[in-house]
Amino acid sequence: MAGMTRERIAAIALLRWHLFANTIRTTRGQLELISRIIVGLLLLAGGVGGAFGFGTAAWYFVSHGNTEWLALLLWPVFAFWQLFPIFSAAFSETADSSTLLRYPLSYSAYFLVRMAYGAFDPTSLMGGLWLMGIGIGTSLAAPHVLPIVALTLLTFALFNLVLSRTIFAWLERWLAQRKTREILGVLFIGAILCIQLVGPLLRHYEHGNRGQMLRLVAEIVPAERVLPPGLAAAAIARSLEGRIRTGFLYFSVLCGYSAAAILLLSVRVRQEYRGENLSEAGPRAETAPAGNLANSWDLPAFSGPAALVMEKELRYLSRSGPMLFTLIVPLFMLLIFRSNGAFPHQKPDLVFPAVAAYTLILLTNLIYNNFGGDGTGIQFYFASPVEFREIVAGKNLAHVLILLFEIVVAWAGVSWIYKPPSADVMAATLAAILFAAPVNLATGNLLSLYFPKRIEASAFGRQRASPTTVLASFGIQVLVMGTAALVLWLSHGPTYWTATVIFLVLAACSLTGYLLGLARVDYIALARRENLMRELMRA
Amino acid sequence: MDVPAVSTENLTRRFGQLVAVENVNLRVSAGQFFGFLGPNGAGKSTTIKMLTGLLAPSAGTIEILGVDLLENAVEVKRQIGVVPEGMALFTRLTGWEYLNFVGRMYGLDRATTRSRAEELLDFMQLADQPKKLIADYSHGMQKKLALAAAVIHSPKVLFLDEPFEGVDAIAAGTLKIMLQSMIARGATIFLTSHVLEIVERLCSHVAIIDKGRLVAQGSLEELRAGAGSDGGKMTLEEILLRIVGTTQSVGRELSWLE
Repeated sequence: MAGMTRERIAAIALLRWHLFANTIRTTRGQLELISRIIVGLLLLAGGVGGAFGFGTAAWYFVSHGNTEWLALLLWPVFAFWQLFPIFSAAFSETADSSTLLRYPLSYSAYFLVRMAYGAFDPTSLMGGLWLMGIGIGTSLAAPHVLPIVALTLLTFALFNLVLSRTIFAWLERWLAQRKTREILGVLFIGAILCIQLVGPLLRHYEHGNRGQMLRLVAEIVPAERVLPPGLAAAAIARSLEGRIRTGFLYFSVLCGYSAAAILLLSVRVRQEYRGENLSEAGPRAETAPAGNLANSWDLPAFSGPAALVMEKELRYLSRSGPMLFTLIVPLFMLLIFRSNGAFPHQKPDLVFPAVAAYTLILLTNLIYNNFGGDGTGIQFYFASPVEFREIVAGKNLAHVLILLFEIVVAWAGVSWIYKPPSADVMAATLAAILFAAPVNLATGNLLSLYFPKRIEASAFGRQRASPTTVLASFGIQVLVMGTAALVLWLSHGPTYWTATVIFLVLAACSLTGYLLGLARVDYIALARRENLMRELMRA
Repeated sequence: MDVPAVSTENLTRRFGQLVAVENVNLRVSAGQFFGFLGPNGAGKSTTIKMLTGLLAPSAGTIEILGVDLLENAVEVKRQIGVVPEGMALFTRLTGWEYLNFVGRMYGLDRATTRSRAEELLDFMQLADQPKKLIADYSHGMQKKLALAAAVIHSPKVLFLDEPFEGVDAIAAGTLKIMLQSMIARGATIFLTSHVLEIVERLCSHVAIIDKGRLVAQGSLEELRAGAGSDGGKMTLEEILLRIVGTTQSVGRELSWLE
């Protein structure tokens, strides 16, 4: 039985290898591979650099007898491992392992494959490298506890890996259906309100009685020690102190957390294994009178194919849980800024531009893979009597509307949490967006046509654009943000009006570039139609 | 002289070294129910994709209702309806939303689109679950919806790539009724299908393609006459097998299959 499972897993690994080898037969595939290598090297640099930093800190803590402080290193690793994949669905991908269900795969083998698919994502690799750094640093300071440190950190890594898979699997389940999506929305708003209290609470203790602050820390530390990062740190710390039994106890509880995470994940994976369908289809409904059916929208100032495509895009978006989740992330980031004091009261004006820029960056996931969610519908665009540029313009229009909505929400959030941004900051930010948005839209249109990638609107982990697109969008963001920073530096003064004027001039240039690019879309789309359809209609 | 609904001249498509369609000269008169047949990989889907603007030809010309497709693609596309191999559906819309979207994209006004969408959903027996996403439709329901979308603007020429594939007998019956009523109203239908009985029953004219080359074209009677002295009694399947030849593995067995 074990032999058969091994053979099946080997067969799946071979299948993945063949799929990979076949993708690099084409020029596009080779470009994708190069992009993947570059992105991989960047991530590796972050991983190795982080590992060095974490390792140095761990060595310092342990060699100076502050072993408890290892928790200060394990918490950021834990937070990154769990939160980064959620906040950056564009960089995280889970392969659709459900296609393997047709084969005679046992549940255990399926579970292992499901785990293996997620083990090599950037977050896991970086988190793993950082833990390795902590392990090396600790062991250099106290070589005699190497086996215990290695075992504890391996268990902690396993816990993180499983928990991130579990969170993804459950989020996907909850976001797939309207009812659970609404509950999740309410919980999210609750979390927002709670986080609101954290900042003032910390400031109260910070500016108030130092004794109170210390008491609070003293109360938090034991609570922190019953959670996995604290447990891992405590297990290592006790072992270093020679209290092996106590250390083992902490280690056992950490194992318990890992087992619980595996169990929770197993509940979802077992449902998948049984062929669960996360569609929103309800029970067969009674015949609905046609009069009850909604008309297509009648938006003032919008008409023609572009308006129809925009409407279709907005309908699609409203039915994609992962995309809706992406749209509320900027608000979440705003609250994080607030709670960790990233923008102190002296500089609240910088919050609005920062959140607006972050909003634009998040939207690149949509903008840079325009047709990703269309699937076989792409054929309709080519068969319909509509110029392709009108279709692209409709998509761009939808994305601009979302961007405007997000900026209004960001403005409201900034005004509520901090104070309304001043007029010159507002003007400079909007002018900067007027410059940045057309640059992103124009580049996004080209990348959408040259490097399309089918995305699964309902699956949380299948929103990622092609590696080339990810790399190019990174380059564009560096360019745009660099230009914005340069403009702000050059126009440095008591107000931002000079910057506004410069941004408006740049906006005129970028808008012209966008329109010139849009005029070329028909030609490019026709030339690339076979590739577009092949990529987007892939099962 | 009548303008043909579909005509091609030396239509060719190459994929690298492979010539998928070679010098195909088709002529489909207006009002014909035209079946385009051939074995797997013969070039049927490639041809229909080129005729509908989904694929660029490597060489040759295409005229639909006398208008050059490559020169006036938008004008031609207004006159035609297509059910391609992938069905061209936006699966995160409901059937109702999809038909409204398609109708308006073809330039119909809001009221006309609405009334036709209602009628089509009713005719195709898809009206009872208006809020169901297309992603949750069965294959047969998706085929019916794709056909409904292809005819919502009342096209003069309808291209169907395997419309009966994966469709049950009841749904196939609905599709046949709709197609026959379109022919009765003067439309031209160009379809590919592997279900030769249906083609034989529906189509007045047939073309056969094999290895990218057009090997026969004409009415069913003309094909029977061309098949030889005993052709008069032959079924379409027998004609097809005679024209393209067979390399069936008759008499051979798989060593491991008991």
